[in-house]
Amino acid sequence: MSMGVYFRRYWQLYALLVLPLSYFLIFKYGPIYGIQIAFKDFNLFQGINGSEWIGFDAFKEVFGMRDFYITLRNTLMLNFLDLLVSFPAPLILAIMLYELKTAWFKKLSQTILYIPHFISWVIIGGIVYQVFGTQSGMINNLLTSVGLEAIPFLTDKNDWLVTYLLVGVWQSAGWGTIIYLAALTGINKELFEAAGIDGAGRLKRIWHITLPGLKPTIIVLLIINLGHMISIGFERPYVIGNLAVREYSDVLSTFVYRIGIQSGQYTLATVIGLFQAVVGLVFVLGSNYVSKKLTDESIL
Amino acid sequence: MKEQTANRVFDTINFIVLLLCTLLCLAPFLHILAISLSSVKPIQAGLVSLIPIDLNFEAYSKVFMDPAMIRSLFFTILLTVIFTVMCMVLTIAMGYPLAKKKLRGRKLFMFVVVITMFFSGGIIPEYILIKNLGLLDSMWALILPGLINPFYLIILISFFNNIPESLEESAEIDGSSHFRTLISIMIPLSLPVITTLSLFYAVGRWNGFTDTLMYINSPSLYPLQLKLYQLIQNNMVSELIQMEGSQMATVVPESLKAASVIFATVPILIVYPWLQRYFVSGVMLGAVKG
Amino acid sequence: MTANTTKKRFIASKTSMLALLVVSTMVFTACSSKSETSTNGGDNGKPADGKQVTLKVEIFDRGNAPAGSTITDNYLSKFVQEKFGNNNNVKVEYVPVPRSEEVAKLNVLMASGSDVPDIVFTYDPNTFNRYAKQGGLTDLGPLLEEHGKTLKTFLGDEVLEYGKFEGTQFAIPAKRSITGKYASFIRQDWLTKLNLPVPQTTDELYTTLKAFKEKDPGQTGGQVIPLGMTIASAQYEPLLWSFIQSMTEEQQYTLTQQLGSNDYPVLLPGFKDGLQFMNKLYNEGLISKDFGLDKDKKKMSEDIQTGKVGFFSEDDINIYYKDGTYDLLEKTVEGAVLSAVDVYTNDQGKHAKPQYAPNGLYIMVPKSSKNAVEAVKYLDWMASDDNLFNLQNGIVDENYTLVDGIPVTNENPTEEAKNRLFNSGDLAIISNGKQLGSLEDNLKARVLSMPAQFHEQLAIAQEIAYADNIPLVVLDRPIEAQTKYATTLLDKFNEIIVKTTMSKPDQFESTYTAMLKDYMASGGQAILDERTAAYKEMKSK
Repeated sequence: MSMGVYFRRYWQLYALLVLPLSYFLIFKYGPIYGIQIAFKDFNLFQGINGSEWIGFDAFKEVFGMRDFYITLRNTLMLNFLDLLVSFPAPLILAIMLYELKTAWFKKLSQTILYIPHFISWVIIGGIVYQVFGTQSGMINNLLTSVGLEAIPFLTDKNDWLVTYLLVGVWQSAGWGTIIYLAALTGINKELFEAAGIDGAGRLKRIWHITLPGLKPTIIVLLIINLGHMISIGFERPYVIGNLAVREYSDVLSTFVYRIGIQSGQYTLATVIGLFQAVVGLVFVLGSNYVSKKLTDESIL
Repeated sequence: MKEQTANRVFDTINFIVLLLCTLLCLAPFLHILAISLSSVKPIQAGLVSLIPIDLNFEAYSKVFMDPAMIRSLFFTILLTVIFTVMCMVLTIAMGYPLAKKKLRGRKLFMFVVVITMFFSGGIIPEYILIKNLGLLDSMWALILPGLINPFYLIILISFFNNIPESLEESAEIDGSSHFRTLISIMIPLSLPVITTLSLFYAVGRWNGFTDTLMYINSPSLYPLQLKLYQLIQNNMVSELIQMEGSQMATVVPESLKAASVIFATVPILIVYPWLQRYFVSGVMLGAVKG
Repeated sequence: MTANTTKKRFIASKTSMLALLVVSTMVFTACSSKSETSTNGGDNGKPADGKQVTLKVEIFDRGNAPAGSTITDNYLSKFVQEKFGNNNNVKVEYVPVPRSEEVAKLNVLMASGSDVPDIVFTYDPNTFNRYAKQGGLTDLGPLLEEHGKTLKTFLGDEVLEYGKFEGTQFAIPAKRSITGKYASFIRQDWLTKLNLPVPQTTDELYTTLKAFKEKDPGQTGGQVIPLGMTIASAQYEPLLWSFIQSMTEEQQYTLTQQLGSNDYPVLLPGFKDGLQFMNKLYNEGLISKDFGLDKDKKKMSEDIQTGKVGFFSEDDINIYYKDGTYDLLEKTVEGAVLSAVDVYTNDQGKHAKPQYAPNGLYIMVPKSSKNAVEAVKYLDWMASDDNLFNLQNGIVDENYTLVDGIPVTNENPTEEAKNRLFNSGDLAIISNGKQLGSLEDNLKARVLSMPAQFHEQLAIAQEIAYADNIPLVVLDRPIEAQTKYATTLLDKFNEIIVKTTMSKPDQFESTYTAMLKDYMASGGQAILDERTAAYKEMKSK
């Protein structure tokens, strides 16, 4: 197909792209010159252009910090555990909701299950403390009243990991079902009817029809999740974490907050951001490649 | 029959597990509600759990009598609606061409998008950009920078990809333009995902406030969540706040905070149940596919 | 697809890539060149006469503006405009900065060049040092000389010294009216019930706490918390500092670590003994198992109010507010009495405890400001006549009545009167606390601003807070390592307290060693080295 013919046929598609691409250029690529800060001794008042180049000095400083490696390890650890626990949770929940026969309860529970997503982390932090505290938390009150030993859910680092994961599932699983529920509406109902006639059991049906129907969505979410293995939200570890378990709860985002925002060392913060970006991009391209080979699904 | 018993067991277990999950998710909301309806003493003593003690509506009357709060509610609604509509229009406009495998330059465009998921200029250049565009202290500073979320765009593309190509092709053979195909075939077939993404955008805007901390100075442009954040955050004790000494101790009552939380959360909570009816359209999609 | 088209497509994508690059570079340069404007200035160019100047003043936004007013438009802002602005042909405009995001927003404002408020401030000395070092602040020395005579007298030399960076007056520090910090409180009714005396020393306190634990005089059903502890400084500082031993001057100067505006005793002799004592208290169940989670004292306040806590240290004034901790304790537990006491004792038999620095906020004028003169005039106006008094106390009879020249806050002001002063502390930036000319009057005024039933006790607590204060160690030059590592080390300092306290007694030693090593490696050593050098230099002068 020659360029001329191609363009006559497809110009509308490019026309559609004009506004979105300008958006990306202006608002996303416009400020990207800020990456330079990583290579400069950034002075707030001189601005980025006026600050002096320092080459890779800041990288050397960051890679020489003990806290960097600890927070990097914790970030990867928490994200990996989340991938094992919090990633499948909404999928399972969505299938359960889909299989639910009682229509009124289906609607009601869908709406209630996603409420935790709307409660800010500061408030969740307070509630977590009331529920999981060792001295007078609700669960431990119950345990001690029946003569059992209190469990330090928040102050022992291994117990804390469990608490962290459970709170994460609780907070995000219901919200995460929404996208799967949307995907489930796309599955052909006739397939289910056919399966019913075949007398296939429920679990079998889920395995052979529901899950394959959700496969594209699962893979897209998985690839994006993998791309974010090295970045982590600030609030959840910050709010649920505490000084007693800091060796697990201190992560890259809290580290960056400390040195970047609170101590005003933008250069160091930018270095870490750049490091995360490069690793994240490699992860996402890698998992995209693998997924394309194995399942023929990909995002790029 | 064996199958039927198995199915009944499945249904029962399913129901019970979901019921438990639902209760777990409802509890904290009830807790906040209970606090918003209780009086100072039992709250301060930490006695309120799920049921209000010394029931009163004082906190709510304060919230509803505060004109700034009401104005903020309407502003937030306006902001969220405009934001969501603009986001969806642009996301669809980008998603549709990029879902076409034969589009030349597709990979490059995708790459342009994916890069922005990881690389950003940072808070200071972004602020300077907003300032240079003259958007500081205006509603647009809260809308324009977030118009397309790459993650949502990718989800949309993935859904578009699952619509059988034959449908589009037959439309094209009929002489339908790409615009027409998009509007009369792709969008109706993708309503579930479009409503879902709209919800994502809307909730993101409703709950987001970090950009307002930076870009907004006029109290008349404060969204609800910013007010809420300030109410809650201001009691946090940090090393620096201790420097203030006792001079600044203006304590916001817990019940007022809780009432504000309810006030700022309920409007967005009811959006989803309302949108759910669009999910039924999946039935139609199934029919077309078959 | 043929090889030809693939190639063409490749070329096409290459050209579009190029186009993209061109466009994006254009965008970059556009942005970066614009951002370079207006870095100069600060030459205090006086505006032409008759032309109104807009003075932009930062104000903390805590989201607590009462109905009918906003943080930028309220009784006090109108008061300022009327009394100061209109007389000086200045339009005073307040720029809200979210309280909790103070430093982040200030940084961004500073970096954006133009549009920065003419008066900015922070409580963080590290931020002040950083701005001064990066050359972003106006030298206020000459301006104070010319336009700020009253202000200078009001603040005094000791306070002004805190605003100097390497000898230059880059900030105007606010004056703190009361520098006493902490007192301790004990359940007097429990002591009476158990027939125990008020403990006078740390050892006696330990015995008393043991008795509280075993006898549970408050009948809490085993929930008694003999010593209320949190990870906020008001609770642990009085305890830990009392373990610090007598030192030489050199030790004092070199081993102290100043993180933010407070001195930290982490390297001082005796600190470890303090931790060991905390460890003992914890393992014997005398402090809450969750103390390390209680950053905002919320849990401890609850426990005090419900009558579970026997003894605790706190800011002298904190428990006496209306509807505050003590008020609610009295309402919840019949016959509960809290007495202010001074217990922790050091090796010299003194009740040594930290105090506040004499300054509060660091008030700064950015170099890019064109209105530095007006800025100083504004602050000077605030210090003149009874302006500060009016900003802090509101309207006579409505907000307060004068008794012997001291304003007594009305116990039941009208809603309007109460709302009038919602931002008083944040607007009257030159002072932290009410200023009435003498410390004695300042203390009296603070007592009188509290509910009447607590006046007597609060006076005692204030006296305790002033007893045996440990002065801050002031070096004659800024310590760069402190500016750089303070935030990280503060976290580590608190972590040391929590981890060593919560360790098993036999693991105390190893925990302490490991934590201290980490602290030193994360900047503690750098501070120590720099302070040692600074001390030597100071001595050699």
